[in-house]
Amino acid sequence: MKINAKDVASGALLILIAATGLWLNQDHNLGSARRMGPGYMPMLVFYVQLALGMIVLAMAFFNGPDPLEKWTKADATMLPVSIIAGTLAWYFAPVFGSFFENTYNALGLGMLVGFLVVCYSMGWRLLGFICAAMCIFSLLLEKGGLMLALAATIGISALAEPEHRARPLGVLGLTIFLLAMCWWIFIKQLDIRVAVWPLQY
Amino acid sequence: MDIIGNLAHGFAVALSFQNLLFALIGALIGTAIGVLPGIGPVATISLLLPITFGQPATTAIIMLAGIYYGAQYGGSTTAILLNLPGEISSVVTTLEGYKMARNGRAGAALATSALASFFAGTVATIVVAGSGPLLTSVALSFGPADYFSLMLLGLIISAVLAQGSVIKSIGMVVLGVALGLVGTDVQTGQQRFTFGVPELSDGISFVALAMGMFGIAEIILNLERPEARSVLKTKVGSLWLTKEEWKRATPSVLRGTLVGTVLGILPGGGAALSSFGSYMMERKVSKNRHLFGTGAIEGVAGPEAANNAAAQTSFIPLLTLGIPANAVMALMVGALIIQGIQPGPRMVEAQPDLFWGLIASMWIGNVMLLVINLPMIGMWVKLLQVPYKFLYPAILVFCSIGAYSVNNNVFDVYSTVLFAVFGYMCNKLKLEPAPLLIGFVLGPMMEEHLRRAMLLSRGDVMVFLERPISASMLAIGALAMAAMLLPNLRKGKEAALTG
Repeated sequence: MKINAKDVASGALLILIAATGLWLNQDHNLGSARRMGPGYMPMLVFYVQLALGMIVLAMAFFNGPDPLEKWTKADATMLPVSIIAGTLAWYFAPVFGSFFENTYNALGLGMLVGFLVVCYSMGWRLLGFICAAMCIFSLLLEKGGLMLALAATIGISALAEPEHRARPLGVLGLTIFLLAMCWWIFIKQLDIRVAVWPLQY
Repeated sequence: MDIIGNLAHGFAVALSFQNLLFALIGALIGTAIGVLPGIGPVATISLLLPITFGQPATTAIIMLAGIYYGAQYGGSTTAILLNLPGEISSVVTTLEGYKMARNGRAGAALATSALASFFAGTVATIVVAGSGPLLTSVALSFGPADYFSLMLLGLIISAVLAQGSVIKSIGMVVLGVALGLVGTDVQTGQQRFTFGVPELSDGISFVALAMGMFGIAEIILNLERPEARSVLKTKVGSLWLTKEEWKRATPSVLRGTLVGTVLGILPGGGAALSSFGSYMMERKVSKNRHLFGTGAIEGVAGPEAANNAAAQTSFIPLLTLGIPANAVMALMVGALIIQGIQPGPRMVEAQPDLFWGLIASMWIGNVMLLVINLPMIGMWVKLLQVPYKFLYPAILVFCSIGAYSVNNNVFDVYSTVLFAVFGYMCNKLKLEPAPLLIGFVLGPMMEEHLRRAMLLSRGDVMVFLERPISASMLAIGALAMAAMLLPNLRKGKEAALTG
């Protein structure tokens, strides 16, 4: 038997989401076929998805082999470690100051920590740095202003590319260029409502 | 009003300074992303969506449309000069176009591709102008049941024509519909699947979903693949075609235009499919088919005409029925809805500026692209030398600001990140993200029409089979699904889509 590991995972994913959806859908009134309640369409959709997930899963045992990409030991261990670290950071975020009492700022800190921790392993490094770069943007934007947030985002995202790590001056040039460009497009031309420089108290 | 009068009105709209400017910006951005491998129109349009909110709807759509058909022009430049397809739709152009460049006819290949695209674009514009109002009057006789079946057909065909496994693509479509359910139920006001998050009561942010799954996930995937760009060695040479070349290219352009126009209208079709279709056809019917593989001009002219024609006619289902034929059109629906315009058959009457202005601007955009691409070819070749390591931080920064500025809320940025992780995961599992996007856009409309149809029929499911329009849609959908189960056809599709 040639198992298609990608399809096994895909089927499992579809089934998992459909089962969760059906479970959550218990809160909604189904109504009748004539007068459908808010729960009717979700019920149809998730049952179809469940069936499709099962077909994908069943067929996965015959149309392989198509293995998943190999995870190194570090990749496998860092994934749960980063999830735990991120959850802890999220949970304890309010300890670090009143700023993190806001739900989304706490969530952002948790995600940032999680994505940075996962970068320890090579396999997750690109994903981790790119996502962490976006998280730091939204953490810094409202208090630190657009310029600081952008500089941090570019700095972290540059870590994803080995050639940038070897040449920090190039990254500096790129940062200055992008800061100027973003200022011109978003502040000068489009005039979006954000603080540009760090707020002073 | 007759077509001429309408078109005159359209040109008046399209020729306003602001609309001309944004058509030009769209065409320039489109050409740029077409030239650069690794950035496609879907990612670009999703990351520019937030910027268009501040503009009038017509201007926004004119610019976004310019990006889509501009990418078809730009994509062929790299395909011919570097054997690197800038877009999926120009993969086949590499087959003959690069050979022509190696034979010292790079200039001729570029000129053929631009002129063929221009001709096809002109024809397609006329087709859109002529068939739009016609289809609209047909569409007005559609009942809710017909709409539901039509959307179902669109979803099935988009899944059937997607790359890879059909069942998995249908799974992604259904998952997209499921994601579209999140938010307030329109009829009862009940919150569904919002987990008490106030930001989710309007549904999952379209921008976050599209940007995360296409924009950000693509950055990560592009960085994973090491860059392989050869330096330009071939000289462009004379842009003029010889008499012989004109004679050989003309019939191919005509055939390619026809193929592209037809395949573009089909739900699930679009630029990529048509260029493959046209290449297959040229290889079978062209007089010089024995020259294919050695740099036959027919193999450049046909597909280049086809992809541009299709890029334009794929607007027909969107403008007349409100149904997106492919992922780019799904983004257009998103852009229209955010602007407060419900795409559908009433759009031609309710938004004449938008409908006719867009059509006129398509033709103007094609003229601009001809100028942008032929005399200024050197500039685009230079752009190719910008390495991806300098591009991706810029894309990331644009996405971050864009995601935030939709609602001035950091929640949207975090949603984008989560969808980026999800999109990355889907790619690793060979799950296609494009069908998901179409399902997400069509899902809420389908639910509304389903509920209305069932209410009108007093709960009788047979209404979908009793109405002739609805029944024929369902029959076509069933046929399309059945056809893909035949091993021969499936292999043909795989060959066509992977080149």
